Amino acid sequence: MTAPAPLRVIDFGDAAPLRSQTLWHAVAYGVSGGAAPTLSFVRPSDPYVSIGYHRRLDEVDLETCAVNSWPVYRRMIGGGPVYLDSGQLFFQITVPVKAVPAARRSALRWLLTPAIEAYHAAGIPAELDEQLEIVVGDRKICGYGAGQIGDAAIVAGNLIIDFDHHAAASILRAPTLTARNELAHLIRRYVAATPADPSAFKAAAIDAYAQAFGLTPREGVLNPIERDRLDELDQRFLSQTWLEGRSRPDPVAWQAKIRAGVWMFAATEREAEVVVCVANDRVLRAHLQHAGLNGSSTSLEAELAGLTLAEAASTLDRSGAAGRSLANLITRADPGRSL
Amino acid sequence: MSDEHNVRGFKVCLDRAYHLDFHLWVKVSEGGSVRIGMDPLGLDTAGTLSQLEFADAGTIVARGEPFGTLEAEKFVGPIRSPLSGAIVAANAEVMSSPGICERDPYGDGWFVELMPFDFEGERDQLTEGTVTVVAAFAAKVDEYRRQGVLAE
Repeated sequence: MTAPAPLRVIDFGDAAPLRSQTLWHAVAYGVSGGAAPTLSFVRPSDPYVSIGYHRRLDEVDLETCAVNSWPVYRRMIGGGPVYLDSGQLFFQITVPVKAVPAARRSALRWLLTPAIEAYHAAGIPAELDEQLEIVVGDRKICGYGAGQIGDAAIVAGNLIIDFDHHAAASILRAPTLTARNELAHLIRRYVAATPADPSAFKAAAIDAYAQAFGLTPREGVLNPIERDRLDELDQRFLSQTWLEGRSRPDPVAWQAKIRAGVWMFAATEREAEVVVCVANDRVLRAHLQHAGLNGSSTSLEAELAGLTLAEAASTLDRSGAAGRSLANLITRADPGRSL
Repeated sequence: MSDEHNVRGFKVCLDRAYHLDFHLWVKVSEGGSVRIGMDPLGLDTAGTLSQLEFADAGTIVARGEPFGTLEAEKFVGPIRSPLSGAIVAANAEVMSSPGICERDPYGDGWFVELMPFDFEGERDQLTEGTVTVVAAFAAKVDEYRRQGVLAE
């Protein structure tokens, strides 16, 4: 009888910001090269900022990062710019890509479901909702990103023991003070910490992933290929060219996502300015500015709450020339980027 | 026969070839270059596209190697080339608004134009011809449904 295949478990403990990224990227190259599926854990020793592979660096408020001495690193997996610190324990599950379901939503569900069991074991009533967000109620409690590196698929997520909402909002560049205030408000409202014992979470995650994948957990370390890759990744992540990423088209409007289905955008043109917060396809709050509104902005803002973006644009379109300018700005929002 | 066919609920254009493992279509353009885009089954399994990135014009790619990356559901993955060749053009419009691919996968939602190095030599890796394409596409949909990765 053959013994079950191993689930390599690597607990990197506390790591400096750079290594708290490059260690698990190195693991992905190892798994791609034939190493066993791996569950790893790491906790950053100091605050920093990480930006998703495709995202524009100008989404990050680099001045705030510099003032606070928070380094910024571009990761090789998806998602937006995020603030990380020692209040967050990160886990990464890395498997050969051929083992993963072909559809991404199925793949993510498969890769994240054991983590839900780990949250439960740590006393957190987490759920994986329809939008594939890990939540308690309507609050996101885990930030994750995923990707394929070589022939390995990886999902990296976190247990948020303590969350600095102010810092998390401050690292995002917002075009106006109104947008910045709304951003901070939405982060506070829709992202929650779940104080729990990280050791209990780790132990439960090891059991849950081993059982779900039919593997036997075995403590491991980086193999020689991964150690070589680590040095290369350190250099890559420190390079300005890598950080800046490839040039991308200018967005038609500033937009930020707080959790799946909760997002905001802001757009300005000449004397017209809109800031709109959206939750579950409906306007949560709108801020309108246009000299031509003649003091009617407050009533119009109230009228837009609860409408879809199309209904909001249509309502503004019927409100004179100023309204039409604002409606035009609203059509620039891209709901596709809210998921 | 119409150039379009509905296969198990997915629109399939029959005026082009397919690489069904990569979920890409390949359509020969004037001058010998080919236009490449993603088929609706690939778009369905990818989820809502949020980001697309393609190699610059002039980049040489080998068949099976990535010519770009795609992000959907916060998952970044490679887009592998169905043919070897040189990228002639990349569609900047879909990089700005990936939703175009979902709205018009066979038209404005194209990804790149590529000048193949050996189209005739690599053509046997593609699925072509009405009967073959429809049967292969249907088999792929059935396979995914059996795996439970598509909604019934």
